Amino acid sequence: MGNKKAKSKANSNGNRPRNGSRASKAHLAADAVVRPVERSGSASRDLRTYSIPDYRLEHPDFTVRQRVEKDRDGADHVRYEVEGNLDTPVPPIRDSKYLDKKQCIEIYRYMLLNRKMEVALENLYKQGKVVGGVYFGLGQEACSCASAYALDKDDWFAPMIRNQGSLLVRAFRASDTMMQYMAKADSPTKGRDGTSHFGDIEKRNMVSPISMLGDLIPVMSGVALGARLQGRDIAVMTYIGDGGQSTGVTYEGINFAAVQNLGLVLFVESNLWAYSTPSEMQYRCQDLAERAIGYGIPGVIVDGTDACQVYDAAHEAVGRAHSGGGPTLIEAKMMRMKGHAIHDAAAYVPKQMMEYWKKRDPIARFENYLVKEKKWLIAKENEALIAEVESVIEAEREIAVNSPMPTPESAEGGVFCEDGCHEIKPKYAMPNVKKGTGSYKETEAAVHLK
Amino acid sequence: MQLTYLEAIRQGIWEEMDRDPTVFCLGEDIGIYGGAFKVTDGFIDRFGPERVIDTPIAESAIVGAAFGASLTGMRPVAEFQFMDFIGCAFNQISNMVAKTHYLWGAPAPLVLRGPSGGYVHGGPFHSQNPEMWFVHNPGLKVICPATPYDAKGLIKAAIRDNNPCIFFEHKYLYRRIKEEVPAEDYVVPIGKARIAREGRDLSIITYAAMVHTALEAAEILSKEGIDLEVLDLRTVSPLDRDAIAQTVQKTNKVILLHEHSRTGGLAGEIAAIINEEAFDDLDGPIVRIAGLDSAIPFSPPQEHHYLPKVEDVVREARRLKAY
Repeated sequence: MGNKKAKSKANSNGNRPRNGSRASKAHLAADAVVRPVERSGSASRDLRTYSIPDYRLEHPDFTVRQRVEKDRDGADHVRYEVEGNLDTPVPPIRDSKYLDKKQCIEIYRYMLLNRKMEVALENLYKQGKVVGGVYFGLGQEACSCASAYALDKDDWFAPMIRNQGSLLVRAFRASDTMMQYMAKADSPTKGRDGTSHFGDIEKRNMVSPISMLGDLIPVMSGVALGARLQGRDIAVMTYIGDGGQSTGVTYEGINFAAVQNLGLVLFVESNLWAYSTPSEMQYRCQDLAERAIGYGIPGVIVDGTDACQVYDAAHEAVGRAHSGGGPTLIEAKMMRMKGHAIHDAAAYVPKQMMEYWKKRDPIARFENYLVKEKKWLIAKENEALIAEVESVIEAEREIAVNSPMPTPESAEGGVFCEDGCHEIKPKYAMPNVKKGTGSYKETEAAVHLK
Repeated sequence: MQLTYLEAIRQGIWEEMDRDPTVFCLGEDIGIYGGAFKVTDGFIDRFGPERVIDTPIAESAIVGAAFGASLTGMRPVAEFQFMDFIGCAFNQISNMVAKTHYLWGAPAPLVLRGPSGGYVHGGPFHSQNPEMWFVHNPGLKVICPATPYDAKGLIKAAIRDNNPCIFFEHKYLYRRIKEEVPAEDYVVPIGKARIAREGRDLSIITYAAMVHTALEAAEILSKEGIDLEVLDLRTVSPLDRDAIAQTVQKTNKVILLHEHSRTGGLAGEIAAIINEEAFDDLDGPIVRIAGLDSAIPFSPPQEHHYLPKVEDVVREARRLKAY
């Protein structure tokens, strides 16, 4: 990191270059479709233009709206309907600029693990072994796995509820997540919380999510700030949905990272549905990546069902973070292919929409790319890989099922970090502080209220 | 040396930043301007803009960033320009910061500090005492010092603590009280009350600016032969249950005094503790003196009416003594 220090110092704390000019040029890839976003204004010299690179190989063109339908008895029902072109062919996977064959296969394996783990969770739920619901990342495996794959060991991340694949990439075991869902004594939170709500600040650098959306964004920015004070420019990756990005703390967090020039890599997972509310009712701009313009940071659009596009955007954003270049907003377009949680049949989603995105299943597309297009996996190897993943998940399932439930008394204790419970020390290095010559003097300045 | 309450806090943070490179400050206007009340005046010149960070006006981001930095082993001290604005960051504090150690075992050594309290005609959004919002949040330590000595010792203890601490500074006291504070390094333990005045007849349990109200009342009452004991809680979460029980066991009559609204206030909790720990020792009803159940009004006559006063304490003490 030595060569990057000087740059980050110049950019730190208020001395960063202003806005888009630096940001938009540096990360423009020649092969991206660049859609200028125009501000209103008549005279051409007063018209500013900004660029949002769009790496997708297709641009889905449909919208969801509410419509009143009459049933046979003439009673009104408000439904969602989709309008637009839903018959377009499935695009190919975009070749990665950075990934080699081995890495692609590794990401593919994580995506398989992600999906098979969720299938196992669904079965555990049906067997009555899960406490509460199950949340799925079906259709979003490429986004979870290929994004986290771009991080270095020293980087940090924080998943949201559907990023169970990210955990696998960052070396958590499937049994960790399974035990969380089953509220077992050996779960990472020892039964105290469920789902992907756990963390590890020692080895795997993961911050636990909470159920409230957007709060992780300033927290991850703070992690990057802490690391920078210790002399390191790290990348901090987290996720937010098209629903969650409506929260005020999302704005506060991204803006904080922007003014402080911190290495936030924010995936905005546009999966079209926030519980039962379509994205049309969350925001009005065309694409959420446009929000990046308002923050003065780079924003890009990728196809969230294309692992190569997700990885490339994440890789470039992580590189920018490591070189002190500040935050990046990556909008990944895809669809949540199940309900909000297992109880929700998602009957509000228009059927044609589900069918459109089913054809864009991230695993089927990647499998086709690796086996048929690239021929990096022969069919037999692919079968063997799937069988291996299934056996891993089965073994993990066994571990999780066999873990005991926590004792009632284990609800107590641990509210505070007591003496000897944790040693607090800088994660990377003791900050190398310089001190000015100012000595302590009593203050006599005027104050706000007397 | 003689220090004001404000200067004691300022010196405490300064010394901790001098001593420990992992301590840093962030907040609104704390850098070149030195903070709305000048608690961090001169800090940026001494410790540099990397460690004295002016932030956007975004309280959730300030708390979130402090928390995130604390996870990397830093010890952030985040300033709220006024503690009234801590409500803007409530979710971040209550659901993220407070629960983190219990749920996933990560220590969060951060301090959230700022001015609170009335008597300065700050109006409904610059006079509140929002400590009870956090007393009801397990996982947070809530500190409300009344004297320069305690303010310095407790801010140092808070910075060194491995848990999230919320440090309420009473803005009425900032420049109004001064006392001798030792030059050498010391801390005041969190969670320990102190007897601010020994007395035989009845006890007042209180904290922050109300300690001085109680002491003033005690002087008036002593001339009438009523001997008040004043217990200064210093920390309102965790409460010093032993000290509360002991003073009740000694005087058998107790007045609970706080500035914030009566309903759902700290007095209710202390009354319950007395009920649990010292019920048999009571020789009279537990008396509450508190702010009104409304917002704090702006106009001086209205604010005066809202807030507890020396004459309220004198009146209630006479009544309770005669019971």
